[in-house]
Amino acid sequence: MKRFGKYLVLIVALVAAVAPVYWMLTISFKSEVDHFASPPAWFVFSPTLEHYLDAFVNRSFGQYLLTSAIVAVSSTLTALVIGTLAAYSLARFRLPYNLDNKLSLWILSTRMFPAIVTAVPLFMMMRDLRLLNTKLSLVIVYTAFNLPFVVWMMRGFFAELPRDLEEAALVDGDSRIGALWRIILPLVAPGLAATAVFCLIVSWNEFLFALVLTQTDEAITLPVGIAGRVTQYEIKWGVMSAAGAVALVPILVFALAVQKYLVRGLSLGAVKG
Amino acid sequence: MLKLKRSSNAASRRALLFPILLIAPALLVLLSLSIYPLIYSITVSFQTETASGLVWTLKNFTRLLTDGFFLTAMLHTLVFAIAALVLEFSIGLGLALLLNSQTRARGFFRATLLVPMMLPTVVVGVVWRLMLNPNFGAINGTLKRVGLNTDVLTWTASPRLAFLSVVIVDVWQWTPFVFLVLLAGLQAIPQEPYEAALIDGSNRWQTFRHVTLPLLKPAILIALLLRTMDLLRVFDQIFILTEGGPGFATETISLYIYRTAFRFFDFGYAAAMSFVLLALTNVISTIYIRLLQSKEAT
Repeated sequence: MKRFGKYLVLIVALVAAVAPVYWMLTISFKSEVDHFASPPAWFVFSPTLEHYLDAFVNRSFGQYLLTSAIVAVSSTLTALVIGTLAAYSLARFRLPYNLDNKLSLWILSTRMFPAIVTAVPLFMMMRDLRLLNTKLSLVIVYTAFNLPFVVWMMRGFFAELPRDLEEAALVDGDSRIGALWRIILPLVAPGLAATAVFCLIVSWNEFLFALVLTQTDEAITLPVGIAGRVTQYEIKWGVMSAAGAVALVPILVFALAVQKYLVRGLSLGAVKG
Repeated sequence: MLKLKRSSNAASRRALLFPILLIAPALLVLLSLSIYPLIYSITVSFQTETASGLVWTLKNFTRLLTDGFFLTAMLHTLVFAIAALVLEFSIGLGLALLLNSQTRARGFFRATLLVPMMLPTVVVGVVWRLMLNPNFGAINGTLKRVGLNTDVLTWTASPRLAFLSVVIVDVWQWTPFVFLVLLAGLQAIPQEPYEAALIDGSNRWQTFRHVTLPLLKPAILIALLLRTMDLLRVFDQIFILTEGGPGFATETISLYIYRTAFRFFDFGYAAAMSFVLLALTNVISTIYIRLLQSKEAT
């Protein structure tokens, strides 16, 4: 009986977690008449792709999708290069006045800023630089946003490696950079990949900065495109659901790929789960 | 193990050059895109636009004290954060305890619970607008089907239910996070203390209170810290779900700052409010971090 109760709780939790997403998927495949079916058609309806065609062929969602991908990949790569170098330095070298620890904490603290706090001045800065409505502005902002995360994750991965590795390479006449590139990076490759995937997810999902910095079709990302459809007076539920469904596919693939590092990544490296 | 550190410390300034060069690009990016904007924001918050151009004033800060919208938005933010935090923590802890001893279902359960947490917040907003829509939403539709009268369940259309809705949506999305962190914490606890408790004849509550809870405390604090920071700055889901409405019933501080800056273009006042939010999150995170460190010390 107790066992039964336990499974019941777990099943309720699972259904609660998945049902809303499933509902959106059904809406994206239902013709508009079926949207308003009463009682709601959870399982039986005649599927159609009209909303997907409408969103990605008739409307600009294809372009938003491309922008999202470009921005996410470029900002992730930039943050990864800059952040990994800093992380290696912070994990391996001691600076005078305990600066290495102070810097690490300071870098982490920039991640804690509420987004809206920097969104207002960043909007004004980008306006002054004439970078509003460009993908570049988003790449720049997302790089800065992901950087503290990369530093903290990679610092943790580097710290887990024994120092003898580089020392052996240095003795063999390798340069410091050579040792990092040939010996250390291959060893932290899984961690690096996981960190990259987290950055991709964060950039892909980001909404507030994109909303503030971009308004034209050439530069808006998928989340902003979807949001634009929501706040209009006549809401195209099918189009919105179809775009939402497309937005979540890469995320689910990514999330499954980093399952092992999930807790570590989500807690900024604090819990090693 | 300390060799590298010590040798770099003892060596000449040239040895310091390498580590500093490695950090320099990161520092440059953060200084120009995190710190400079803050300084920029401070100067803007002390300026207001008048007929004769920009003048330096404290007006933006004195206005905070008498602005009903600001005080209401602060109140909404705090109530929202506390309500969501309590729910997410209790449900998350409950599920983690339930699944800690369950090895067979754990992997599948963990993977499924990822879904809400990883979704773009905008998609979460869309999903729940579809669920909660009074006309064709799945919730009211399903309730009606089992014979309940759903006329009063107008969700995002009535102020109180709208507030409840945004809390429910956050709980739906982020309880899995609390669950995952606490489950990881539980699984890191070794078996010995439990065996000792068993030998001492502790009952289940005593074991939980004196063994599990103290050992889980770091994971609990980290989960609460990260959730609190996110809850205090909540923006995306509410923007999609209600845009702060109906009226201003669900307007949190981030939404009000957004409205001030990007609807009324009053950047000075928006900046002043940002600093209140920043100070608040700073104070709260400092408290959590102190608690964490005091735990590590003992």
